[in-house]
Amino acid sequence: MFLNSVVLILQEILEAALLISVLLVFTRLRSIRPFWAIAAIASGAIGAYFFAHHMASISEWFDYVGQEVMNAFIQLAILFILAIFSAKYLGNTHSPHSSQMNRGFIVCTLLLVALSLTREGSEVFIYVGGALGDPSHVQPTLMGSVIGAGIGISVGVLIYYGLLGLPTKRISTSGLLLLSLIGGNMASQATLLLTQADWLPYSRILWDTSSWLPENSILGRLLYAIIGYEATPSLFQVFSYATGILLIFLCAQFSFRKQPPMLIKQTSTTTPQ
Amino acid sequence: MQNIVNRVAVLIVGMGFVFFGHYAVAGTPVIELTIKDHLFFPATIEIPANTKIKLLVINLDPTAEEFESYELNREKVILGNRKGVIFIGPLPPGEYPFFGEFYPKTAQGKVVVTDQ
Repeated sequence: MFLNSVVLILQEILEAALLISVLLVFTRLRSIRPFWAIAAIASGAIGAYFFAHHMASISEWFDYVGQEVMNAFIQLAILFILAIFSAKYLGNTHSPHSSQMNRGFIVCTLLLVALSLTREGSEVFIYVGGALGDPSHVQPTLMGSVIGAGIGISVGVLIYYGLLGLPTKRISTSGLLLLSLIGGNMASQATLLLTQADWLPYSRILWDTSSWLPENSILGRLLYAIIGYEATPSLFQVFSYATGILLIFLCAQFSFRKQPPMLIKQTSTTTPQ
Repeated sequence: MQNIVNRVAVLIVGMGFVFFGHYAVAGTPVIELTIKDHLFFPATIEIPANTKIKLLVINLDPTAEEFESYELNREKVILGNRKGVIFIGPLPPGEYPFFGEFYPKTAQGKVVVTDQ
């Protein structure tokens, strides 16, 4: 029970930890105070509680596949917001920012983290809530959960300082790379869930890497939790993963290219004041 | 002439009913999988190759369980005293283990796909 709790909570936390760390790095680059993270984590926790609380009835929607449809919807929403975020706020990290721009940045990051935690956290609530019903499970479950969460948060901190430790020029591009992987992961997971719900047709398995890196190995599970590694992905999954990555990349190019005009626009609006 | 057209029309519609009616009646085969005392019943599910299956998972325990299978690429939380549907396949012949992620020590099973 103890080890299972460690692994389960860690898996749920890793995906959100990566997202939060990368977003915090971009927050730092724009010299915005990271207070949004507290609000985002709090609203994510509240969202997760309500999602878990209503999961029983949500699961019965659409002829018992409501859970898949809702989760896929949240993942596609994350991908959509991530695309907007990349298009608007990734490029011009060193130019002066209007408070309106910063407000948009904060709203995006807040929504991203809250949505991600709502989905991942609801499973934690359901699991821990169930285990607490059995008195003999209470202590190992709680201990395991705390340790799992601790490791997950530590990985997040490592990613954060790892990124900030890079040469300044590389920080943005590495952050973008991670965000595009998150985008690809969201698209691929949503596709998988909609196939599981029979909303998308079956597509053939493209390759099998389970003999090299099994999904149930430690590294496999870690990679699955962070970037959605699949040993036997389907054609649609690979296609949507690639589309997700490409979408975030192209959106980011848009904001990187917009950089010089933004500077001109901002200086011209600030000089008359 | 009109008569022939009518007959052909009736024939086409009739064939349509036979074809699609058969499809609707046959539909996707449903297989029930029950969870009780953190165990799967039946622990082995046999299904034909290259066929899509609707797995109806019924959890009779008061606690939630997560149906998980790396080989099937499936993952779904089934809440206590509730049920859920998971579509699997079409699959090539082979063995596809699954387990309950919340109680993996006891909740183990496999889907055996046979070439028929």
